[in-house]
Amino acid sequence: MTASVWVVLSLLAALVPLAYLVSVSLMSQGQISAGSLVPTPPDWGNWTAALTETGLPRAVLNSVIGSLGGAVLTLVFALPAAWAMARHRTGGRSLAGLVLSPWLLPPIVAIVPLFTLLRVLSLNNTLVGLTVVYAFANTAVAIWLLEGFVRRLPVELDEAAQLDGAGEWRVLVSVVTPLLTPALVAVGVIVAVLNYNEFLFATFLTQGPDAQTVPVVLSLLLGERVQDFGKIAAASLIGVVPVFAAAVFLQRRLVTGLTAGAVK
Amino acid sequence: MTPAILTLVVLGAYPLVFIALAAVTESSLGRPFQELVGTATVEDVLGDADVVASLVRGVVYAVLVALVSVVLGVTTAVALWRSVRAGSVTRTLLLLPMITPPVVVGILWKLVFNPSGGLVDTALRFVLPGADPVSVLSYPVLAFAGIALADVWEWTPLIVLLVFAALIGQDTEVGEAAALDGAHGFRLFSSITLPAIAGTIGAAFLIRLVLAFKVFDLVYIMTSGGPGQATTLPAYVIWQAALQQFDVGRAAVITLLLAAVVTIVTLPVVAITRRLHND
Repeated sequence: MTASVWVVLSLLAALVPLAYLVSVSLMSQGQISAGSLVPTPPDWGNWTAALTETGLPRAVLNSVIGSLGGAVLTLVFALPAAWAMARHRTGGRSLAGLVLSPWLLPPIVAIVPLFTLLRVLSLNNTLVGLTVVYAFANTAVAIWLLEGFVRRLPVELDEAAQLDGAGEWRVLVSVVTPLLTPALVAVGVIVAVLNYNEFLFATFLTQGPDAQTVPVVLSLLLGERVQDFGKIAAASLIGVVPVFAAAVFLQRRLVTGLTAGAVK
Repeated sequence: MTPAILTLVVLGAYPLVFIALAAVTESSLGRPFQELVGTATVEDVLGDADVVASLVRGVVYAVLVALVSVVLGVTTAVALWRSVRAGSVTRTLLLLPMITPPVVVGILWKLVFNPSGGLVDTALRFVLPGADPVSVLSYPVLAFAGIALADVWEWTPLIVLLVFAALIGQDTEVGEAAALDGAHGFRLFSSITLPAIAGTIGAAFLIRLVLAFKVFDLVYIMTSGGPGQATTLPAYVIWQAALQQFDVGRAAVITLLLAAVVTIVTLPVVAITRRLHND
């Protein structure tokens, strides 16, 4: 009984702020300052403004491309590494620690070498450049999450393939990868959500509408001289749609990825 | 597999080496490593009361936020596990704050705290008609608590998720045997369930602590570090040094100091978690 009450309370705590955001997105400026909680009648003008005046549709597209592209590249980097670490005990605990240690720190200073690197490759201020940065930024976390899954695969499978004459890369591509597909999807979803939500790198590495992502466009709306809260709320909700959709459709994958990987 | 491992070492070591080099040289945003200055920047930063204060503030913030998140998260996970009716829809809805972009979380709570017609303001006027508008984010202590609240709202779902998975994954036979032997209610929970999930709770606390030490977006969106320096947390100070004052050397030194602080705070937690896992 008390358990159900607590579940209901926590649902309220999670959802009331989000519901309030929906409510504000349907209010005129006057209704907001009058302190109304339910917009009557709902004013859809903020949604139209958010879609037409802010460059948001393009930003959503940029965000989706950058986060998915980054996630796929991350998996390509992370899988061989996670496999090598789990199977061969390469580097032992200290390598795992070294790989993950940058995650413990705020990534601000790492921006500087990345910025220099992108300028050398003349990829600064492009979506491709941001995607590459995302690919590297989350590789450590992806390795950490994937390693737990790799360790659960029976070693005998690898050994059998090797006895049949398959080389290491062959085992990885033809035996390990198909077996790990669910894990790869799970970790890929997590990394894609992290990329989609990322703000600091995006705001520093992208300057124009061709490359700016959702969080950057939203922060620019907040920086306008007159803050239009209704429009900002509508824009936030539009920006959130892709991640919320991913959560609803891929809930189980997201959950297994986090629980199997993060706590071993 | 050698190339993969080599890439990894470079990937892990490169930012660390860069930070270490920038810390002992004069480095601006455009031109890093101009001139070796040794420990001059370190001494300069350690003598800066604002930086030291922000590190202390960061520790208070991280420990507070992590404790509150873990207490709420564990309670919610146990409630979900006990409650028969809570299905996967409930669990998905509870996860939403965690996947909301931090920038949107910041906007959301800024709107809730908006002094002219925000949720807090409106609720207060409902209870006390005629009260003056309250501007939560304009008072030092309240602004600090406001950011902490937004942070707790955002990341508590992760704790719920991890602990709930541990609760489902535990060996049910032990619990059943204890129940047959007459253990019930709180006794059953504290001597069977809690020890089974203690390692997970420790790991979740650790992850939460690190996330709280790194908080930047919420500060940037909600308060820009103010009022005064009340919400100037370490990641924000590093950002100011690197991208506002363009002093990468200084930013690198503060990052290293923060690394030392994070290590000191998390080491006991790591040790305890490891013990709990082995038990």
